[in-house]
Amino acid sequence: MTLDPFLAWLESTSLSQWIVGSDSILAFPGILTFHAIGMGFAVGINAALDLRILGVAPGVPLSEMRRFVPVLWFGFWLNAVSGVLLLIGYPTKALTNPVFYLKLGLIAAGMILFVRISRSIFGGRSDATFQEAASSPRLRRLAIISLVCWTSAITAGRLLAYTYTRLTQLH
Amino acid sequence: MHTFQTWLVHTIIAHSPVATLMRTHWAWPIAESFHFLGLCLLIGCVGTFDLRLLGVARRVPIAAVHRFIPFGLLGFAINICSGLMFLLTEPDQYIYNPSFHFKLLFMTIGGLNAATFYLTSYRRVFSADAPLDAPVHAKVIAAISLCAWMGVIVGGRLLTFYRPGECIGAQTALLLTCAP
Repeated sequence: MTLDPFLAWLESTSLSQWIVGSDSILAFPGILTFHAIGMGFAVGINAALDLRILGVAPGVPLSEMRRFVPVLWFGFWLNAVSGVLLLIGYPTKALTNPVFYLKLGLIAAGMILFVRISRSIFGGRSDATFQEAASSPRLRRLAIISLVCWTSAITAGRLLAYTYTRLTQLH
Repeated sequence: MHTFQTWLVHTIIAHSPVATLMRTHWAWPIAESFHFLGLCLLIGCVGTFDLRLLGVARRVPIAAVHRFIPFGLLGFAINICSGLMFLLTEPDQYIYNPSFHFKLLFMTIGGLNAATFYLTSYRRVFSADAPLDAPVHAKVIAAISLCAWMGVIVGGRLLTFYRPGECIGAQTALLLTCAP
């Protein structure tokens, strides 16, 4: 099975050609910039939540960390949208590189961990339980794995620029 | 400023302690990964504090959220170190790059803004009887902080799209944006 005809079609669409070829700063450079800002909020708030679970800022009730979660989701959706646009721009570059699938897998794992952590600490139990949950070994383990996932996802994402074998169907 | 810029580029090229290391196969991408991780720590921890000043998680004492700040500073330190590795390896790509000039400008704004917070608002916001809602000037500082660090990201991410070329003709702008 080959993806090549699909990739060639995708690269021939006007959206793909605008993303890659336009001189507008809002095209490829702008999308890339939004992707970095979204990463800062999605991974950054995730990291703050993980650090809180691991004992940083103990005066902040774990349940109150939920107030920052909308910002995390804002970053996540900003990156989902900008990521899809970057993929439409260079589908061959991404989809022929195993590191890209590794990055997606790590992001999926990171978000699944986030949802599980959220359910544990924002699950609608009493504040006393939240404080207990803060020190539960299971939750600490999830927080550490989450930090490892996001660190790895970022590293994999950065390596995409160095590990691709084909840029487009033509090159 | 032009003379200073060219002097800086030439001095760095002549004395750079990290250029050989950074030109090995994986050093540059590894330093970049650290730069992105530092970015997330900075935005995540400083951003969380800024959002609290702006009124998110209003029930939590501001001083409690401030305990995230050391990790934001850790992110900043990681980024200064990894950033210097880039700058000391390819100085002309940064020192003549208008996007880098903007990045430095936003970093300066972010730094002065943070200093302003500690000089003007710190005691009022952190005293034991401080109200849970931050005063207006602290909120303004928090908003400036968020914008400044996002400006730093924009300036950094756009660096590659404003790579300086060779200078053609006389340069009259305050800062050189091409390699003489």
